[in-house]
Amino acid sequence: MLNNSVESEKKMAEVETALNSDGPIIQAKDVSVFYGEKQALFDVNLDFEKNQVTSLIGPSGCGKSTFLRCINRMNDLVDIARVKGEIIIANQDIYAKDVDVVALRAHVGMVFQKPNPFPKSIYDNVAYGPRIHKTVSTKDEMDYVVERSLKRAGLWDEVSDRLDQPGNGLSGGQQQRLCIARAIAIEPQVVLMDEPCSALDPIATAVVEELIDELRERFTIIIVTHSMQQAARVSQKTAFFHLGNLVEHGDTDQIFTNPQDDRTENYITGRIG
Amino acid sequence: MSDFQSKFAVGVNPFARQSKGFGNAAIMFVLIACSCVAILVTVGIVMSLIFETIRFFEQVPILDFLFGTHWSPQTALTADVVGSSGAFGAVPLITGTLLISFIAMCIATPLGLASAVYLAEFAGPKVRSFAKPLLEMLAGIPSVVYGFFAALTIAPFIRNSGSAAGFDISSESALAAGIAMGIMVVPLVSSLSDDVINSVPQSLRDASLGLGATHAETVRKVVLPAAVPGIAGSLLLATSSAIGETMIVVMAAGLAANLTLNPFEAVTTVTVQIVTLLTGDQEFDSAKTLSAFALGLFLFVITLALNVIALKIVNHFKEQYD
Ligand SMILES: Nc1ncnc2c1ncn2[C@@H]1O[C@H](COP(=O)(O)OP(=O)(O)O)[C@@H](O)[C@H]1O
Ligand SMILES: [Mg+2]
Repeated sequence: MLNNSVESEKKMAEVETALNSDGPIIQAKDVSVFYGEKQALFDVNLDFEKNQVTSLIGPSGCGKSTFLRCINRMNDLVDIARVKGEIIIANQDIYAKDVDVVALRAHVGMVFQKPNPFPKSIYDNVAYGPRIHKTVSTKDEMDYVVERSLKRAGLWDEVSDRLDQPGNGLSGGQQQRLCIARAIAIEPQVVLMDEPCSALDPIATAVVEELIDELRERFTIIIVTHSMQQAARVSQKTAFFHLGNLVEHGDTDQIFTNPQDDRTENYITGRIG
Repeated sequence: MSDFQSKFAVGVNPFARQSKGFGNAAIMFVLIACSCVAILVTVGIVMSLIFETIRFFEQVPILDFLFGTHWSPQTALTADVVGSSGAFGAVPLITGTLLISFIAMCIATPLGLASAVYLAEFAGPKVRSFAKPLLEMLAGIPSVVYGFFAALTIAPFIRNSGSAAGFDISSESALAAGIAMGIMVVPLVSSLSDDVINSVPQSLRDASLGLGATHAETVRKVVLPAAVPGIAGSLLLATSSAIGETMIVVMAAGLAANLTLNPFEAVTTVTVQIVTLLTGDQEFDSAKTLSAFALGLFLFVITLALNVIALKIVNHFKEQYD
């Protein structure tokens, strides 16, 4: 934890520059996760490229969410969870002692399985992150950030005339796009999405998928999905997990047309999972 | 032929009603009878309250009762002056009740809420496992104990500190009773609010923490605002129990029906007056005795209304997150 704010700002700037350089933006090295005695993830090694969408697929319980939650240290919130190995983001091991999870999560945002807008107005939902991190100082600037985020999330046209209405009043698909707007309002480099469409109907799902493709321009996206069609539609890279192991990863096309491992082939042809 | 097939043999109605035997009917009967007793007793009590109150208002005009500022049923009892106007004015009792309840809530709200927030959000499982039962033990203390705590400890303390500062404070004061009552309802406030805070879904906390908020920020900006309606409901419930509380005020607040908002003066409450009106040998048709029923009905209506509103708010709050 950094107590000194000057130091923390310097750190943020360092991280910023490192994030803007080339090469893989995230490197997972020998990541293992334990829940108490039980090991849920076994020595996962996986790199993520900038401005690409990577899908994590695999049968349920194989550790996709567990791995995703390692990347912004949400597993810290689970008392019994223990993470081994390194995750390097911008040349910095995020599990090192001096890492501030607050700063980390400002750079690595997250969208959850079930839409979870705060019981606040649409405006306040989007403004929540910028207010916490004080990235915005004036009301005009905040208005601008809220509008830009809602536009990027493809929600602006539907809600621009009722920003003061509660976010829970929107439909499920709109709520999820609101959560995406909320996550990108602080301009993270990476957005993690854990089955973001599993609670949505097919039409809302299509809208969100299209959105994910647009967001790729600015953000690096890692998405957990149980739908292989979705993985094929939205992602450039795909990683297949099975029983806590990373079995195979590579270009989405290659994984789906020419899988190297039997387990991958069995899964994508519907024989397991 | 298997058992399954035999059940669907041609010509037999597979869905025919089967006798459930005598046991079921008997149990049903006992259950219904028991609930009927409870309901009938309640209805009976309310009816008797209403009828006696009507008899009271035949002797004393209802407006004098509701808006009169002078309460002295003892003088009204003496011959000739029965029902004389002004003697049954309930306003001093109502203000006394409200004053004491207000003081009690001023104490119970911060203490109860703070302990609820601490227990629900910050206490580790170890602290929680002994602090929560300890707090709930407060709720198990009989109110008469709080009563003599108020009369023998708090009141003398207030009077002594008052005289040290040059004020003359009576040994019976609204403040002493209010403080004791406040401490008494702390467990109620804290355990209800604790439930409310716990029912704020984890997904909202995750959302806030995932955006990089600290735990404290999450509690302050997400959990508590989301819990406000439920907390308001729990405060209303606590208020209603404070209004109906009797023992503490009998012992610590006094009998003088002063119309005052000064917490250092002795005041009396609706419940205290009901007790004093009905203890000892009484004629059951004098205005003095009947006035107790009017006060009782009044109290009943107020606390019932508060409870209904509070439960509505709390339930609505819980539904919102299901
Ligand atoms: N909080 C937890 N406590 C204990 N075990 C957990 C917890 N979360 C996940 N697990 C276990 O870890 C394994 C992987 O879970 P998860 O990452 O949620 O799988 P997926 O998202 O691929 O369906 C499962 O066996 C699950 O039971
Ligand atoms: Mg999952």
